[in-house]
Amino acid sequence: MSEIVVRADKLGKTFRLGLFKKRVEAVHDVSFEVERGEILGLLGPNGAGKTTTIKMLMGLIFPSRGRAEIFGRPVPTIESKRDLGFLPESPYFYDYLTGAELLDLMGQLCGLDRSTRRRRAGELLERVGLGPAKDRPLRKYSKGMLQRIGLAQALLNDPKLVVLDEPMSGLDPIGRKEVRDLILELRTEGRTILFSTHILSDVELLCDRVAIIAQGRLRESGALDRILSPLLLHTEIVLEGDAGKELVELDPSADVNERLRLALAEGKRIVSVTPRKESLEDLFVRELGGSVERAS
Amino acid sequence: MRAIVRIGALGINTFREAVRNRVLYSLLLFAVGLMLSALVLGKLSLHEEGRITRDVGLGGISLFGVLIAIFVGVNLVYKELDKKTVFSLASKPIHRYELILGKFVGMVLTLAVQIAIMAVVLVAVLAVQHLPVDAGLYRAIVLCFLESMVVASIAILFSSFSSPFLSGAFTLGLFFVGRSLPELREVMNKLELGTGGVVLKSVLYVVPDLRLFYVSGSLIDGRWVSIHGDFIAWSYVAGTLVYAVGYAAVALTLASIFFSRRDFV
Repeated sequence: MSEIVVRADKLGKTFRLGLFKKRVEAVHDVSFEVERGEILGLLGPNGAGKTTTIKMLMGLIFPSRGRAEIFGRPVPTIESKRDLGFLPESPYFYDYLTGAELLDLMGQLCGLDRSTRRRRAGELLERVGLGPAKDRPLRKYSKGMLQRIGLAQALLNDPKLVVLDEPMSGLDPIGRKEVRDLILELRTEGRTILFSTHILSDVELLCDRVAIIAQGRLRESGALDRILSPLLLHTEIVLEGDAGKELVELDPSADVNERLRLALAEGKRIVSVTPRKESLEDLFVRELGGSVERAS
Repeated sequence: MRAIVRIGALGINTFREAVRNRVLYSLLLFAVGLMLSALVLGKLSLHEEGRITRDVGLGGISLFGVLIAIFVGVNLVYKELDKKTVFSLASKPIHRYELILGKFVGMVLTLAVQIAIMAVVLVAVLAVQHLPVDAGLYRAIVLCFLESMVVASIAILFSSFSSPFLSGAFTLGLFFVGRSLPELREVMNKLELGTGGVVLKSVLYVVPDLRLFYVSGSLIDGRWVSIHGDFIAWSYVAGTLVYAVGYAAVALTLASIFFSRRDFV
């Protein structure tokens, strides 16, 4: 039987804003579980409630309703944070510290002794490619470097669960690939990963399961191959003739062979035939009603 | 035990932040400049160099100790939330009160070093003028340090739930009321204010009695004390230490309660 590492049970958060304490429902009764060793992607457009949900799990925001557990320990408690590493969205650190000083401080807060702190900090700085910059103040780090030092501090206590809030946000393509590779490495090491994103391709490349959040509500969750419809949406045929390339979309009920025969008879060349099933983007559009454009 | 180590780590980090803050150096330089000005002021006086240097020096230490306590204290917690550095810290296996206590420890360390530097300058100025340095001067400096410690705890308390501007205004207000407490109590006793008076008197008991730390020219245990003559004993300083620690403990407990209930949005 698989072990549940994170359990969110009907988590809800209502903020009271402004002079008149206007109620704003940020998260409504969100429930999901993360199993040991898997990567769960929390997917949703900006402002969907992903960060609020993660902050409730990290003990940074108190839920108005519901409860959560990490490794069976209630959130928020010190025990729930013991085997946890967290990278906040667009991480901010003390900019007067150097990379090495930041890791030393975080190591002390994690209860690591001096020799373990030094060893882990050295290993992680090399791993995230910041070895040569370890004595440079953080105010001189680029956004990508801050993201990497953020990952290093999240991994300092050798956590079994790693929670990453928009880890690829603001990174260039190379930086995104490096973070993606690191996440996959962490899974190979047996760690459980929960991360939030609004980038669909990251979810498709990384996640075992996905939980879609929009307007503070959980819309869909499960393995990608389970939540995506197995039904054929349409078949895309790319033909090439004297007038150039042409894309033909056929309904699932259409006779593809007949269309291909006809094209060949017209003297056209068949470039590709692609049966299109539902993609994550289609699902996103289906669930969120067009807000995908805003999200990605 | 582990909590103490974590509080110590946060305290040293807060101290490091203060050391690397250029604004504090400006304040310190200004204070040192003020003390050096006593050299000139002393020359302008009629054989009162010692009195002038002591008054200006101790006044400077007291004023700048309190200013640094307010300036740094009101920003400590706010900056943590505003710059979002609290997200990484609070997700580590620590209690939120440890953050408050760590900040305070760092603040006290900063004040101790700043006041020590100002004290060294004052002693040096007295030495240049061939004026004696007695234990009373050191006692007065310790009192300045204890007062700034109390003010810092109040600044942290206000900053645990309000903006730096409001926290600064509240702390400064309490500082002035706290320094004028004996006079205010006397006025209250003379006025007949009915129920409102009882409430006001109760409020005055909540305000820190900062005159305990600024004693020169006051009547203590039936005798007038002066930094230029008969000054308080170390036993009095020990008593004020207990008061300062007690007051700071209450302020920091309240700050921890407020901070522990905050959402870090």
